[in-house]
Amino acid sequence: MNLNVNGRTHEIESPPLTTLLDVLREELGVHSPKVGCEQGGCGACTVLVDGAPRRSCLLPVAALDGAEITTVEGLGAAEHLEPVQAAFVHHYAAQCGFCTSGLLMAATAYIANGGTDDREAIAEALGGHVCRCTGYVKIVDAVAAAARGDEFDLSVTAAGLFTTTMSGGAA
Amino acid sequence: MTVHKGRGIAAIEYPTGMNQNGDPSQAWIKVKPDGRIDVFAGTSDIGNGSKTIQSQIVAETIGVPYEWITYDNSNTDSSPVCTGTFASRATFVAGMAVKKAAERVRERILDIAGKELEIDPADLDIVDGEVIAKGSPQTKISVPDVAAAATWGHGELITGAGAQLKPYAAIVEPETGKVDLPPHSAISYASCAAEVEVDDETGEVRVTRLVQCFDVGRAINPTLVEGQIEGGAIQGLGLGVLETSYPYYPGMEHRGGQFGSYLAPGMEDLPVMDTVLIENPSVDGPYGAKGIGEMANNPQPPAIATAVHDAVGVWVTELPITPERVLRALQRKAAGEGEPTRKGKLIVYDEELSLAAVAHPDAPVRLVVDA
Repeated sequence: MNLNVNGRTHEIESPPLTTLLDVLREELGVHSPKVGCEQGGCGACTVLVDGAPRRSCLLPVAALDGAEITTVEGLGAAEHLEPVQAAFVHHYAAQCGFCTSGLLMAATAYIANGGTDDREAIAEALGGHVCRCTGYVKIVDAVAAAARGDEFDLSVTAAGLFTTTMSGGAA
Repeated sequence: MTVHKGRGIAAIEYPTGMNQNGDPSQAWIKVKPDGRIDVFAGTSDIGNGSKTIQSQIVAETIGVPYEWITYDNSNTDSSPVCTGTFASRATFVAGMAVKKAAERVRERILDIAGKELEIDPADLDIVDGEVIAKGSPQTKISVPDVAAAATWGHGELITGAGAQLKPYAAIVEPETGKVDLPPHSAISYASCAAEVEVDDETGEVRVTRLVQCFDVGRAINPTLVEGQIEGGAIQGLGLGVLETSYPYYPGMEHRGGQFGSYLAPGMEDLPVMDTVLIENPSVDGPYGAKGIGEMANNPQPPAIATAVHDAVGVWVTELPITPERVLRALQRKAAGEGEPTRKGKLIVYDEELSLAAVAHPDAPVRLVVDA
């Protein structure tokens, strides 16, 4: 059977009931999808299967013959980031980074399907992803910014002189 | 059969660094022949941003752009010792180590620049990557040119090492626990206000708003410290109303076997959040900074508990405040059996030790409220 991963077709040799996650990480050396709970509960292994976000830990590879898989490796590289990646950098939306790959793929699909910067809609779409570091605030900020099409000058991002927009106050 | 709204507040104080001290951090910095700065330290960055913050401290101390700094903490064997990333110490203790190392590098750059410019190093300053003569800024030499001169002209490696250690505070009176040195470094203060909705039929507590107000000493990177506080706040929300292995614990055979059996907060539990940073500089931290990493999830559970009391008039004295515990407390109150009482804890407040010793006497306190 064949899998198209990030634009390249591979013939898969793993047994048919191997999970997509294990095929990606162990057979193909694609390491951005993370092995989290392996029960579909945390979202860290999320990849795009024919454009839709799926838990790769729950998918037997035999069911995916000919499918197109996209992982973070198929998004932009460091020197030309996709808008959603740039938004994550600018808004400091990652801390330890373990949830980030899955969230980037889910956010990519959310925006590709016309998702807006509405916070409740973002929480509805990405609610299945667990993050223990950020408290989600800056992740929602980043996805909202990317959905709006905000542009960022990442050369001034490091000093971190901006604060959250998630305020219930006058702003 | 109604949803009751309530508000509560809690305040805490928390020390920076290891209690009783004795936790060293060391750093070593060298300058490449083209002026770029290599920092070697053993502080692991677990997502708290210590690599960014320590690089900022080095850039600020030497006087070069942040982009010139490479921070290498990838090898704890070849890097100097750092006790580790814990006890809210990565910015404070390890930050002081890189600051001291950077001060020595700055001295060496000024010394060699003085020879190149034939000016007393005391009359030189480093601004944005250039060594300039004080009062005569057109007389200057760039840091890359100084590094090249050191390498190819003077036969010298510009380098500096630094270490931070507050020695271990030994107990001298076992009866009272008195120690021979102040037992910790800077003290941070914080408060949290919580708004909740409590359903008196289901017992469910929903946290609708959290306002965090933290004395961070000095916000070296405001967004990073805000991220620490926001992340801590949601952990505190989880500790307050969601996270437990009860009722399975301690019977291991009945404990949750699934990832989803443990209720960590999700994106949909996110309340409205406000973060207020107070800059009340410390005397002994880098640029007045304090450490707030561990304390970030402390004030929310008691703030939520007081908000629940405000909403439905019962004290829930165990965490997390689950629907079952709320309903049992309401039942006891309705049956006139009395509710758990909340006895205030007596705190012996030593102003000299707790406040004056750690706050900078001359520095103004600054309040940063996000707009």
